[in-house]
Amino acid sequence: MTVRSAAGIVAPARRERLNPLTLLAAAGSTAVMTTAAASWALSLAVAAACLGLSVAGGTARRLLPAAAAVLVPLGLSLLVLHGLFFPEGRTVLAEWGPARITAEGLGFAVQRILLLAAVVLALLVFSFSVSVPDLVAALSAKGVQGRFAFVLASTLTLLPAIAARAERIRQAQESRGLVVSRRLLSRAAAFRLQAVPLVLSLVEDAATRATALESRGFSAAGPRTSYREVADSRTQRILRIVLVLAAVAAIVVRVVPAGAGA
Amino acid sequence: MAGGGPGSGGSTDRTGTPRNPALAADIRDFTFHGAPAPALRDVALSFAPGSFTAILGASGSGKSTLGKLLAGWLPPGGHGRLAGFLEVAGTRLEFDGGAGDPRINPASWGRHVGFVPQDPGTVLSTVRATVAEELAFGLENAGMERSAMRAAVDRTAGLLGLRGQLGQDPARLSGGQLRRLAIGCAIISGPPVLIMDEPFASLDAAGSHELSALVRRLLADGTAVVILSQAMDAPLLEAHHWVVLEDGTATASGAPHRMTADSSLVPAAIRRPGQEAVLSTARPAGPPPNSPAALQLNGVSFAYPAAGGDRIRGSRAPRGKRRGQAQGAAGLNPLPAVLEDVHLAVHPGEIIAVTGPNGAGKSTLLRHFNGLLRPTAGSVLVGGADISGVPVGRTAASVGLLFQHPRDQLFERTVGREVRFGLDRLFGATAEERAAAALEATGLSGHAGEHPAELPASAQRLLALATVLARRPAVLALDEPTVALDGIGLGLLDAAVRQAAAEGAAVVLVTHDLGYARSAAHRIVALDGGRLVPA
Repeated sequence: MTVRSAAGIVAPARRERLNPLTLLAAAGSTAVMTTAAASWALSLAVAAACLGLSVAGGTARRLLPAAAAVLVPLGLSLLVLHGLFFPEGRTVLAEWGPARITAEGLGFAVQRILLLAAVVLALLVFSFSVSVPDLVAALSAKGVQGRFAFVLASTLTLLPAIAARAERIRQAQESRGLVVSRRLLSRAAAFRLQAVPLVLSLVEDAATRATALESRGFSAAGPRTSYREVADSRTQRILRIVLVLAAVAAIVVRVVPAGAGA
Repeated sequence: MAGGGPGSGGSTDRTGTPRNPALAADIRDFTFHGAPAPALRDVALSFAPGSFTAILGASGSGKSTLGKLLAGWLPPGGHGRLAGFLEVAGTRLEFDGGAGDPRINPASWGRHVGFVPQDPGTVLSTVRATVAEELAFGLENAGMERSAMRAAVDRTAGLLGLRGQLGQDPARLSGGQLRRLAIGCAIISGPPVLIMDEPFASLDAAGSHELSALVRRLLADGTAVVILSQAMDAPLLEAHHWVVLEDGTATASGAPHRMTADSSLVPAAIRRPGQEAVLSTARPAGPPPNSPAALQLNGVSFAYPAAGGDRIRGSRAPRGKRRGQAQGAAGLNPLPAVLEDVHLAVHPGEIIAVTGPNGAGKSTLLRHFNGLLRPTAGSVLVGGADISGVPVGRTAASVGLLFQHPRDQLFERTVGREVRFGLDRLFGATAEERAAAALEATGLSGHAGEHPAELPASAQRLLALATVLARRPAVLALDEPTVALDGIGLGLLDAAVRQAAAEGAAVVLVTHDLGYARSAAHRIVALDGGRLVPA
């Protein structure tokens, strides 16, 4: 318990000094290198390290359900696919017609699941710990199109905004005498009544907002600046280059022998 | 019906010596695609640097369309066809509705003309984390250096009194602060023209006063200020020039003193100062003595819990008192109390007005009447029965609550269906008659087949009122009912409120409009520091 809380205090302070692009480079190159290596030991180590980082950073409670939502269905389908239908499998453990469980198939499935877990966890740790305003500012400072940065940021701000609007509409309608009971039919009927003003208002807001953004020069072609200052340093810039080079090297090492062998 | 030829209004609408107007327009005809009739015709305007113009028009007069057209928010060709010209910074763009029409670049137009729409929330980018960054958004897009941006943000925030909010999340600003931020976003790049649509609606006296001061400062700096309004708000008397818009046409223009002197120049649908006094000539009859209270608040206190304050408002609303109280008690550091030991009794037939500045907690108080918010201490009784634990939807049968944003309350396909919704289940055979009476009372009988979303703002508000009136609730609670109503709408509201009270409803009006409160209510109470005091 004490270890966890101590780490929790340290982690945010460290994160503030990290440029979001450094975090992005770290997560991206980890995912690439793990995939290229395709080693279950490395995958397991990366997945464990990601979980550790997430616990230390205090994001585990949000990260675990998200990771489960992605990994459980994908993992099960990999297990069925490779566990039951693995042509190269020799050690048959059980057999039903064309489907046979082989030790090699199971081993391959587990290896793939571990790899998938490592990649997904690395990317989730990044997305749950990065400060979105910082990332948007860093990207636009690098000359990334305003539209892309806007879409990125919107994906994270839109849902809460819609939820708040739906809540306001529900209150207004309950005040008009709509009684929403726990029954499924009642909820479905209430949803229909709320969806109409919700969609209408969102569409209208979006139209006004688009015009407002245009008139504030959002589509301007020239260079953009950023009001928000994002921490960066020479060390981090070098680190990012090293990470990207390492990822490229991992791919080359993986692809070249395969190509030479062919 | 001024069917003059193109530019016929031009000579009357010039503001004096606009050799080089900051913005000018001659709109011979502007018709939305697919619309049977033009939204605007024969409107000629010219705004000199440092001039202050008020464009007055009732709800549905084409006022907002004109504002957007002038601001480049409704580029001709995109949404409708324009015949006429727009001129900004000495460049005249001629339109004839054909394919050869020039195209407006909203960004470069926006550098010359700043615009603040009716709903200020819609101008925000929603992707900036702080007020300072939101202000800087337009400057970032223009590629301004960071040091210059900081100076501009600081100067603008000082001008608008937002220095204390620079680090805040824009989504958490109050309504008044949000309007100031929207104005800031429009003026930070120093456009020579600023157009504002209904900026004074929903601002209290202090807010109007600050906005007037800001307008004066912009005028002194040479900015041409244009305000669109459906009421002759007191600050507009300072304008150099008024233009009256009726059915999409400029029907009159001139200096404010001349326009106010001749009542025939300004249509009745435009609200004038002191109109409330006219309404009040027949003071509402008092409540019958000794009747039991229809609504009673006993020592109600309330504070929003500090953590996740925005979520608390609704999520616990429909549940029982226990959950509400538990959450209230569990908030370790609740925000300062919004309501403190509030006592209020409203009797059948009585009209009470609750006044107070923006942010005093008036809406919070109203939300306790039907259980949308549950008190952290004290109790709310409707018709003598405690409503704690009763679902909001059920309390709503006795308490009709009208919100500030009518569109949130409306969901049906036609005006008629909207008013009839749920009535037959409650009233059976008389439902049809009640719906018709409510539409009649709000002047909407002729609109029963229209889509609610297509009504002008004033009519939408009246429709929301009709849906509440049709149920004839024992308690009628209205949140800022005068906002967005034009002169005719105000008259209908006033009559409907009196009628409801005469039929025995207990009415509570929450308003920042003291004039209306004085004319309509038997009793005025003010919400001050969380307590109700006689005003």
